Amino acid sequence: MRFGIGWRAELGAAILAHLDQIDVVEVLAEQYADATAAEQRALRFLARNVTVVVHGTSLGLASAHRVDGKRLAAVARVVGWIEPECWSEHLAFVRAGGVEIGHLAAPPRNEATLEGLLRNLEEARRVVGSMPLLENIASLIDPPFSRWSEPEWIDQVAHASGGRLLLDLHNLHANATNFGFDPFDYLRRIPRGRIGIIHIAGGKRIEGNRILDDHLHPVPDPVYAMLGAVADEDAIVILERDGRYPRFGELLAELERARESVAAVAA
Amino acid sequence: MTPEEFLAALYTDDDLRARFLDDPRDTALAAGFSAEEAEELAAIDPESLFLAARGFARKRAAKERLRERGAGLLNRVLRRLRR
Repeated sequence: MRFGIGWRAELGAAILAHLDQIDVVEVLAEQYADATAAEQRALRFLARNVTVVVHGTSLGLASAHRVDGKRLAAVARVVGWIEPECWSEHLAFVRAGGVEIGHLAAPPRNEATLEGLLRNLEEARRVVGSMPLLENIASLIDPPFSRWSEPEWIDQVAHASGGRLLLDLHNLHANATNFGFDPFDYLRRIPRGRIGIIHIAGGKRIEGNRILDDHLHPVPDPVYAMLGAVADEDAIVILERDGRYPRFGELLAELERARESVAAVAA
Repeated sequence: MTPEEFLAALYTDDDLRARFLDDPRDTALAAGFSAEEAEELAAIDPESLFLAARGFARKRAAKERLRERGAGLLNRVLRRLRR
C-alpha cells in the first residue's frame, strides 16, 4: 500500500519538504481548472517529484441529469497537465434545475440515478480519457426514492460500471453513525477488490449526535479500525485535511498510524 | 420537477424549505409530485434537512473564499522552493 496526503497550498512547502514520508499527493481538480502557464508548470513539477492522483468535486456524476460539459472539460485539462496515476470523483449530484447546491448531495439510490451515472461515466471516459474511481459520500439526508441500501448501491455501481472505487472511511463512519448501521457489515457487502483509493479524515459531532464530515479534525479511532479491515496491497491511502491545520508533524503521525493499522493486520 | 431538482431547491431555497417543513405533503404536491411521491418526500427528517441546508450554505461561502486564494498559492510556494 502507498500512503499520501491531499495537496493543499497551505501545506505545500511542508509536503515538499517531507516527500521521503509521502508516497502520493492528491490534487483537487477544480482548484487548478484555470491554471496559468506558470501554474501548469508548477503542477508538472509536482508530478515529477511525487506520484499524483487527481480528485474532482464538482461534476455530480451520480445524477439522472447530464454532466456539465464545461466542468468535465476543466477536469480533463487538469488531468492532461498532470497525467496522474488516476483520477476520482464522487457518487453525488451537485446541481439540478439550474441550482448549484455547493457541495456533494446524496442522490436517490435507484435505477434512474444508476442509468444517469453510467451515461455520465461514458461521457467522462470520452472527454477525460479514463474513468474515475467513484467515492461514497457522507450525507445528513437519507435520500428519498431510494430502492437500495448504501452497500447495495455501491455494489450495483461497481458491477454496472466495471469501474473502481474510492472508499472514504470517514464518510462511512459518519453515515453509519447518522443512519444507524454497522460499518463493518457495509465493508463485507461491497466489492472490496475494486477499491483503488481509501480516504481517511476527521469530522465533528453536531446536533442530534450526528457526525459532520468536515475534514477539519484528526482522524478518529473507528476510521483506523476500518482501515485495518480493508487493507489491500494495491490501494492508496490518502489523508484529507481541509483546514484548521495542526503542525505538519501531526499529519505525518496520522499517516504513520495509518501504516501501522495496515501492518498490524498483515502481521 | 425531478427528485434531484426538488432536493436541490430544498437545500438552497430558504422559502421553499420553510414551506416544506411547515407542510411537506402539500409542498411536494404543489411541485408536481404524486401523492405516493409526496409521502416519500414527507419522510425526510426535518432536523436533518435543516442541518444539510446549513452545511451546503457554508460550503458555498467557503468555496467562494477558496476560489479567490487557490491556485496562486501553489505557484508562490513552488517558486520559493526553486530559489
